[in-house]
Amino acid sequence: MLPDFASVIPESKEDALAYLSSLKSAKIFAGGTDLLVKMRRGESYSHIVDITRIRDIKVISDHGETINIGALSTHYEISVNQIISEKALSLAQACGWVGSPAIRNMGTIGGNLVNASPAADSLAPLLIHDADVVLESKDGTRRMRLEDFILAPYKTDIQPHEILTFITIKGLPGYREGYKRVTKRAAWAISRLSIAWAIQEKGGFYKDVKLAIGSCTPMPFRPRKVEDSLKDRAKDEKTIQVAVGEIIDEIIKVSGMRPSFVYKIPVVKALLEDILKG
Amino acid sequence: MKKIDFTLNGKQTILDVEDNETLLHALREKLDIKSVKEGCSIGECGACTVLIDNEPHYSCLTLASKVSGHDVKTVEFLGDENLLHPLQEAFITYGAVQCGYCTPGMLLAAYSLLLKNEHPTDTDIKEAISGNLCRCTGYIQIVEAIRNAAGLCKCNS
Repeated sequence: MLPDFASVIPESKEDALAYLSSLKSAKIFAGGTDLLVKMRRGESYSHIVDITRIRDIKVISDHGETINIGALSTHYEISVNQIISEKALSLAQACGWVGSPAIRNMGTIGGNLVNASPAADSLAPLLIHDADVVLESKDGTRRMRLEDFILAPYKTDIQPHEILTFITIKGLPGYREGYKRVTKRAAWAISRLSIAWAIQEKGGFYKDVKLAIGSCTPMPFRPRKVEDSLKDRAKDEKTIQVAVGEIIDEIIKVSGMRPSFVYKIPVVKALLEDILKG
Repeated sequence: MKKIDFTLNGKQTILDVEDNETLLHALREKLDIKSVKEGCSIGECGACTVLIDNEPHYSCLTLASKVSGHDVKTVEFLGDENLLHPLQEAFITYGAVQCGYCTPGMLLAAYSLLLKNEHPTDTDIKEAISGNLCRCTGYIQIVEAIRNAAGLCKCNS
């Protein structure tokens, strides 16, 4: 059995925020795939606010340059969503790899971000799409960059009375985009490392390159310096070798030389080369 | 305590559940549906799989209070000992059942796939059952059974 708790199941965001501001040790419940596992291991809360009936934070909507992703969208819903597939393919692909079919039907992207596992598949794609998170409480709404929201592995800036309601991303239509991950087995596995990319090229030159590498550094990271240096550079062997070398140096600078790097570094190198060559 | 009103295997069902009660517990202990198994209890093995609105969910990580207004199916929906579903017949024919513990969940994952995809490839089948672990058969027989049942049943009619 789970530890004892009382739950409320509000139908509207306003009701949910009112409950959160009035209850002391209340925990937000969405897909349950992380929270109930933690509760089985002994974490307990006096109150659970089940937000899954709030319809307006379940919707994915296209606003031209940006896309609003309701935090309650499940990984499955994102993986098959047409807007996401057209303008943020790496995110659709990454969400299609999360856990198993049942986990993808249950787990939500908002829950995934609040849990803030450094190996979460959605993180690298969200970073290349310059994701912001929207946090709402009874006192108001704030928006922050995803990179600032996640403070450390499993630690975010969310406050006790807040709900992460939306994630806003920039669409990248027309980019060559994708997500690759390396795992111990083909499915139902946690990423050992992952890369999301979106690349725009013209006439043999890189126009815009966005890369994010997951599970090599404490937080998935974007090698922005290298991205900038690739702008208007000829797409040739030498450019690619130099860029990949600089990214590897940056990873080692951030993480130090980890034991796993004997394996990971050559793999990241080969993946990045493939990706940049396209 | 919450009163839930949902459809279980085609029948409207009204039930009182505790706030902290899982769907797995409610099905087994209050509705006597023992086909839904408790395995790992942390959403990894798939023995507790049920279909909610025809999609596989782990009932061990689903609060019973969440299914109000939804459609829940367990393996009892597929058939009974007098009239088995073609998927169940195929599991017998191809030796896809040994200890049987994973079988209800495996059948539901397969049924959910066939509702969406009448002619799945082996890759589609493996993907669909990737969240259901079987420690006896090695999966080959299960994939064969599902592949052969696919031609025989019109699941979505």
